[in-house]
Amino acid sequence: MWEHATDGVVYLASQSRASLFGLFWFVIVFEFPRYTLGFISVAAISFRTARAPPRNIEIGRVTAVIAGHNEAAAIERCVQSLHEQSRPPDEIIVISDGSTDQMPVKLRELQNRGLIAEAHCPQLRAGKSASFNLGFARASGAIIVNIDCDCILERHALLYLLQPFADPKVGGVAGNIVVRNSNASLIAGFQAIEYLISISQGKQSANLTDQMTCVSGAFGAFRRAAIASVGGLDSGGGEDLDVTLRLRGYGWTTLFAADAICLTNAPETVTDLSRQRFRWERDAVRLRYRKHRDLINPFSARFKLIELLHEMDFILFSVLAAAVFPFYLTWLFITYGDVAPVILVGAQVGMLTLDTFTFLLAAWLTPQVNAFAIAPYIVGYSLFYGLIMRFIRLAAYLQEWIFRTSYRDSYVPMKVHTVRR
Amino acid sequence: MKAESSARADSRADAVRGLKVLVAEDSSITSDLLKLLLNQRGHQVDIVTDGLQALAALREHDYDVAMLDFRMPHMDGVQVASSIRKEANGRKLPRLIAITADMEALLAHAEDCENFDHVLPKPLDIYQVGKLVEEQAEIGARQAFPAPATHRPTPADLKPTSDRPSFFDSLDYEFLSWPNDLGTTRLSARGIQATLGDPRFDAILIKQSASAEDLASIWRQNALHLLPVIDLTGTLGAKADLDGSKLGGRDTDEFDRLIRRFRDQRARLHRDMVFAGNVGEKLLGRMVVSGPPLKPAYDAQSATLVSYNTILGGSLVAAEAEGMCEQKFLSRTFFERFHVCPRCESSRLNVREECPKCRSSNLTEESYLHHFTCAYQGPESEFRRANNLICPKCRRELTSFSIDYDRPGAMMLCGSCGHAGSEPAIGFVCLDCCAHADGESCRTRDVFSYELTEEGIGLAQYGRSLLGDARQLLRFTELPLELVVALNSAAKRFSTESIPFTLLNIVYQNEREITAEHGVRQFAQARALFLENLRAATAQTGMVVDGQSYDFALLRDVGPEKSKDEFDSLRQRAQSTVRVDLGVKFQAFGPEDFI
Repeated sequence: MWEHATDGVVYLASQSRASLFGLFWFVIVFEFPRYTLGFISVAAISFRTARAPPRNIEIGRVTAVIAGHNEAAAIERCVQSLHEQSRPPDEIIVISDGSTDQMPVKLRELQNRGLIAEAHCPQLRAGKSASFNLGFARASGAIIVNIDCDCILERHALLYLLQPFADPKVGGVAGNIVVRNSNASLIAGFQAIEYLISISQGKQSANLTDQMTCVSGAFGAFRRAAIASVGGLDSGGGEDLDVTLRLRGYGWTTLFAADAICLTNAPETVTDLSRQRFRWERDAVRLRYRKHRDLINPFSARFKLIELLHEMDFILFSVLAAAVFPFYLTWLFITYGDVAPVILVGAQVGMLTLDTFTFLLAAWLTPQVNAFAIAPYIVGYSLFYGLIMRFIRLAAYLQEWIFRTSYRDSYVPMKVHTVRR
Repeated sequence: MKAESSARADSRADAVRGLKVLVAEDSSITSDLLKLLLNQRGHQVDIVTDGLQALAALREHDYDVAMLDFRMPHMDGVQVASSIRKEANGRKLPRLIAITADMEALLAHAEDCENFDHVLPKPLDIYQVGKLVEEQAEIGARQAFPAPATHRPTPADLKPTSDRPSFFDSLDYEFLSWPNDLGTTRLSARGIQATLGDPRFDAILIKQSASAEDLASIWRQNALHLLPVIDLTGTLGAKADLDGSKLGGRDTDEFDRLIRRFRDQRARLHRDMVFAGNVGEKLLGRMVVSGPPLKPAYDAQSATLVSYNTILGGSLVAAEAEGMCEQKFLSRTFFERFHVCPRCESSRLNVREECPKCRSSNLTEESYLHHFTCAYQGPESEFRRANNLICPKCRRELTSFSIDYDRPGAMMLCGSCGHAGSEPAIGFVCLDCCAHADGESCRTRDVFSYELTEEGIGLAQYGRSLLGDARQLLRFTELPLELVVALNSAAKRFSTESIPFTLLNIVYQNEREITAEHGVRQFAQARALFLENLRAATAQTGMVVDGQSYDFALLRDVGPEKSKDEFDSLRQRAQSTVRVDLGVKFQAFGPEDFI
């Protein structure tokens, strides 16, 4: 075994550049461009003028809409954190979506205490989209902020989130989601790094080229006129990606507010995480390749080059990177036999180096996150996301492609799935 | 104006403080007693002993109050009163009070009785005399300075007096009628007689509708609360004992039974309860006599929304009955909980579903509709287009309930402020004072029905002796006449020669137990034996007098403070040969208690 390893290292060291590409083509095609684009964007971001201090801009009333199912325990803290904002919302509307716990009672209490303006408690669960639509219709604000019940906002989050609306073309702004429970488990720690890289830094990069395609349902804001122009959220999961794509289709700009920080709890076990990712990836596939497939059809009226960029990004770095990986592995073992593990380790070492570098850059761009606390997770993160998550993603794509599982997702009530199909 | 009214108040206060009273009484015992009592309270008393002297004194001096004995030499009280009224000719007369031991004879001159402002029965109640004289003087003073009219016409006043003879008048019973005999301000002579506990009166006929406050005046008198109330107006409902308005000539059975029941029960009632001093005890007596427990019923006329099965107001009954409950004479059972206006205490409240924001009751309820296909959720009115439901978001028609849409709940919409929510708040508006109260902040009042306990029945049958010393009061009306005479002379000797005396009130605490266990006769025998022993023991210095519920011993030359031990040994000696323990308690009263 050990002999194989030393042989492998010697073998790798003796390769020419061309033959190295022959060994590591997967990393070089599917991973290296991703990192390179990241580094370029970070450089671009840092070259831009320093972040402007937030101003109290005149954008009219702000309504916060919170929808939740059985969130009696979490709702009060969420509402309180809104009242603690340096720029609190002018109105808070809470929808208890068919809750069977004490949530309606809790909402009545909050209303009596004057903490929320309106509470709606339909007895039947209608799903997240329908609940938000109810809240949007009742909202009196020009800007509508939506927040998940289990989210806690930093004191200036709302103020920062509202800044981009000074530009009347902006229809939606995504908040920066940061993992709150990074110490709860190894998996949560990995996700803290993932969120920092893919959201905090990733969306900042996307901002540069107008590629911000998901105003996250956990914390985001919409201009009332924008959401009215697209008719609100549509049924089915992944409504945040869906509505953002539609907003962009209607010509609205969607942006990311890096300083609008919202703390959320990430799944703490592999099971919960994979269940969540299965759902996300299935929805992404359904939305991109079924509902919005005309965005990649050059003959469609909706086809735009700017949308093609993020579509290409998703195809290359998400779908193909997952789909090709098993073939790469198979090819590697068939061709190189015993040396294959050494080659893989070599690839992983390269990935770890890139990941570490990316992490440091992301941490530098988002000083609000305590990077020292999560830095030790970087090795595990690199392994877990490089090997395991790739298979989870692939499984989700296949499942959706073949079985259309997103049409039976329990996040949406069955009665809705039935008519959607 | 202010100075004038305060001067008026002053003169009224003076009138109560130092009154000039004429006592015309041929019995020196009574006149001395009255003088003693009234002087003690700071009034000046002139005494005359016959009718002619009385007339002369009345002509010569200005008295505030004149107390005239009915039977006097030369000219009786009635004649004196009518003469002086005839002569008055606008001159301010004193308030005239008749004193009599013979109500019957006084009533024989029914029309002349009207010349008196009040009638005072003998034997005199020393607690009442002073108070009564002052009250009458105050009424006299008020008439001299008439107060501005405060009386507003009430619906009751506007109703015609139904004075047509009812079939009750043809029955062989003695009735008091409202408002002829018992008015809010004045009692007729027959009314007064009934307040003395005269057993001949059978019932009160309410001939004219009156408010609860008006009828409550019946309860301010003695003994009247123990008579059944027959309602001829048909307005009192359960408050009366019998609705006489619908009773025909043939249904006298029910009526007879009622009268008989009340009569029998009254006879069993202890004298203390007939002349009860407070409303609580009166209630107790009333319950024993009338039979059923105090039952509340809804009554929209009353601000408390409740009236009990008695003519007394609901809140007063409740307050008094609670007091009796605390003393364990009544037990209570929950009836209803009412919300109470925080400003005026009224329970006449309009209960409303209100907007939690603006407190308006202008609310409408609307279903949410959820269109599954496009995830739109909103109030039904947004979907409604004539007879169709069209989704405002995707413009598709909603066709099949539960297939493409459903109704997940209802929302409440406020027509005044536009607020929408899932639940209305509850609030109250007071119909009496228009105050608003939130459901959460509105106080509540619990209403109970009350039933007599064993103790309550005991109190009604055995009187205050059951309560022991603490609540004991010596009541002059209860003193046998021979004792009053003896007391009078003892008091006289005390004031002239300072020879002390002690009146012992003998209370039998174990009367109830002994009666229950051994019978009435056994108790009577034991009591008689005890008194006999006591008589023997005090033969030298005292007299022992049999009373009704208590007995008395008057000890000369001994002050009540003298020695408790002496009384104890006296009691032990008298008790020594009595087999059952009577639980005798002595209460000692000295000259100071009488003068």
